[in-house]
Amino acid sequence: MELEERARDSADNCIACTSCVAVCPVTKANPDYRGPKLVGPAHNRMHFSDENDYEDSLKLCSNCKNCDITCPNGVSVATLNMLERAKYYKAHPEKHTQADQMLSHNFQMADMLKSIPFGRTCANIGMSIGEAMGMMGAMGIAPQRKSPRFATKYFREMYKEIKQPEGLTKEVLFFPGCFIDTNDPEVGVAFVKVMNANGYKVLMDDRFKCCGSPLVVGGYLDEARSHADNNVAIINEYAAKNIPVIACCTSCSLMLKAEYTELFAQEEMAQAAKNVYDAFEFLTILAEKGELKKVHVSSDKKFIYHAPCHLRAQGMGMPAVDLLKEIGVNIDSADAGCCGMSGSYGFHKENYETSMKIGSELFDKINASGAHKVVCDCGTCREQIKHGTNAKTTHPIQVLAKAYEQ
Amino acid sequence: MSKSDVVVIGNGFAGLMSALVSADQGKKVTLLSYGAGTFPLNSGVIDVLGYDDSGKAVANPAQAVSAVADEHPYKKIGIQALEESVKFFQDVVAAEGFPYVGSLNEQQWLVTGVGTLKPSCLIPESMQGSKCFEASEIVLVGIKGLKDYYVDMVAENLAKELGNDKKYTVVTVDPHYQGARDLTTKDVAAWMDTEAGYADFVSQVKGNAGAGKVILVPQILGLKGNVVYKKIVAELGCPVVETTAMPPSVNGLRLRDVLLSALKKKGITVIEKAKAEEAVIEGSKAVAIKAGGEVRLQTYNADKFIVATGGFYSGGITMRDFGEAKEVVFGLPVECDCFEERWVNKQLFSDKKQTFAKTGVRVDATLRGVDESGNVVLENVYVVGRNLSGYDFCFEHSGNGVALASAYKAAKA
Repeated sequence: MELEERARDSADNCIACTSCVAVCPVTKANPDYRGPKLVGPAHNRMHFSDENDYEDSLKLCSNCKNCDITCPNGVSVATLNMLERAKYYKAHPEKHTQADQMLSHNFQMADMLKSIPFGRTCANIGMSIGEAMGMMGAMGIAPQRKSPRFATKYFREMYKEIKQPEGLTKEVLFFPGCFIDTNDPEVGVAFVKVMNANGYKVLMDDRFKCCGSPLVVGGYLDEARSHADNNVAIINEYAAKNIPVIACCTSCSLMLKAEYTELFAQEEMAQAAKNVYDAFEFLTILAEKGELKKVHVSSDKKFIYHAPCHLRAQGMGMPAVDLLKEIGVNIDSADAGCCGMSGSYGFHKENYETSMKIGSELFDKINASGAHKVVCDCGTCREQIKHGTNAKTTHPIQVLAKAYEQ
Repeated sequence: MSKSDVVVIGNGFAGLMSALVSADQGKKVTLLSYGAGTFPLNSGVIDVLGYDDSGKAVANPAQAVSAVADEHPYKKIGIQALEESVKFFQDVVAAEGFPYVGSLNEQQWLVTGVGTLKPSCLIPESMQGSKCFEASEIVLVGIKGLKDYYVDMVAENLAKELGNDKKYTVVTVDPHYQGARDLTTKDVAAWMDTEAGYADFVSQVKGNAGAGKVILVPQILGLKGNVVYKKIVAELGCPVVETTAMPPSVNGLRLRDVLLSALKKKGITVIEKAKAEEAVIEGSKAVAIKAGGEVRLQTYNADKFIVATGGFYSGGITMRDFGEAKEVVFGLPVECDCFEERWVNKQLFSDKKQTFAKTGVRVDATLRGVDESGNVVLENVYVVGRNLSGYDFCFEHSGNGVALASAYKAAKA
């Protein structure tokens, strides 16, 4: 059922105060971008009737949400950009590039490779050869980058081999998201360890699809909608059984908690959102109830934390840092803004320079910190940090899992 | 989230100063922010009182503040807190390497982005318009492609203000900008922060600099405090003055960055995009604020709360119908002359204050909300900045002054 209050109408709350332009990382790095308020909100507010109406800089928005964080009037600026972008591509499907297609549909590739014997190993070798031969650029993918490799065993496969302790009465459903599932499954393993240690059994549901975030930024809104409907139905099914859904990827959790409702304005989505938690948001709630397993870290290894923009947009501070500090981890927030990657954005060849420029402040801070590792909840932020610095990265749940082991 | 001593709601100038003064008192502070505050629209200068009730220009802010009407926030804050707050502010910004000049005993003068003069009290070194008074020649620098800055108009208006016995020379600098959008002062300031941009600018202006001259530029002298200002004054060998600007305000952003840096050093926790939705009240005290994103709220417990959510413009005070104005977080009593016929003075630039602008929370001398009989409503909730009733900051030029002094007093209480 359609909600009465729709994010797309929030354009009317835009008073064109320019706060979003002042903080937008893309505006700062790329002089071709007109700035958030002049793209989505202006387009939407003018209620352009002709689908051919197009603003050249529409494709430059990275959907990082710093405009939403900055807006004093609650305008869903980035979502308005995405809706306008989708409208354009719907009218002009021929304008989609090969890179759009690939970067938005990585989940399809991942599934296909799983079904082929040695598919993933071959694909990884293929990527190495492709990168060495300079073929990525020809496909529209930034040739400077190393594409994330497919894990030879996805989390969904590893999960089946994990022996969770008997007799756990409480349950949570894990939403792994594509990156953790197919690229970085150890994060999922750490999540299971942490939840088990706190008395929760972790469930998986193979009907879950990609949250749809890469589809939205690619302008494939109808596909994203079908993913949303699929995932929302599952989440609500578990809500009826009082089983919360937890994500370790902050872009996935933002999508499930806020963006579905913003983009599609459906009652079921707003309902489902209430049953979704970021992992450290959930653990913090346990801590507040005195139910979190107590542990103390006595190592003085220094960590630096990068807060993903999609976490900051959730309006709950930095629960991972607070919790890790609480247990004695020597960790400080870099507080250096956006890393510049924004999901698949920085992988596009034409966005590479902008992406690296945006990240430069963060890279400098990390390089100057002398930290042992960079802690960050977002997989593609971690890819960007590894690319822009020589630092090692980890997910905060892995730091906590390790603390539990000692 | 563990309990704080003080929760500040709002991150405009009043909010950030409340947090800083509280932390300086040794308190554990959490600041809830929703949006960027008014800084991108804020000149970042501290007007204390530019015009009195009759619209007459104020020469000595300290004296004029002592003579304000009883309803005015300054009357409740008192001159002592104002004086201490000015010192506190000047110490904070100086320690961050971005000193402000001025005192409560005289006005400073700014050149606006349209070439008029405007009084203010505390201003950064780069904006001292009074340096134009003694100069024999004003060299006005325009920037090719810069939006909302019409250098010829600035020259014409400034000549009206300062007289035609001075020479007014216009120079247009080409930033060799290649992008597809209009330039803002922030873009040009970022260009000036680069070594190449700075050198390019200097090479285009240097020929016009010299003794007896002042170089007047839009607000473009870098985004980082006064770094570019100090360098360019030394290099050009004559005073350089920045005008005020259209949004995004470079100086507002400089001030915000400097204050945020000070906040970080004090270990103040800032929660972004956390809209304060609900107050938890026990008896005559607030014990927590529930704030957060779309889906669920986090609980922020504290012993003391400071409301810095702003007025109508910032959504701290709303009104559906006449007589129904309310403060949105705690429901504190709002006072105003809420009748349709008196609500608006239709002559926007007249010599009278706007009724709607004076709408705000009714407070006593402790800056806590009081009911009609003067009884404190919530013992540990303080109100600062544009949430306060009884003044029209636009009319009298007192916005950041009231914000600063009230923040200081509330934080010290």
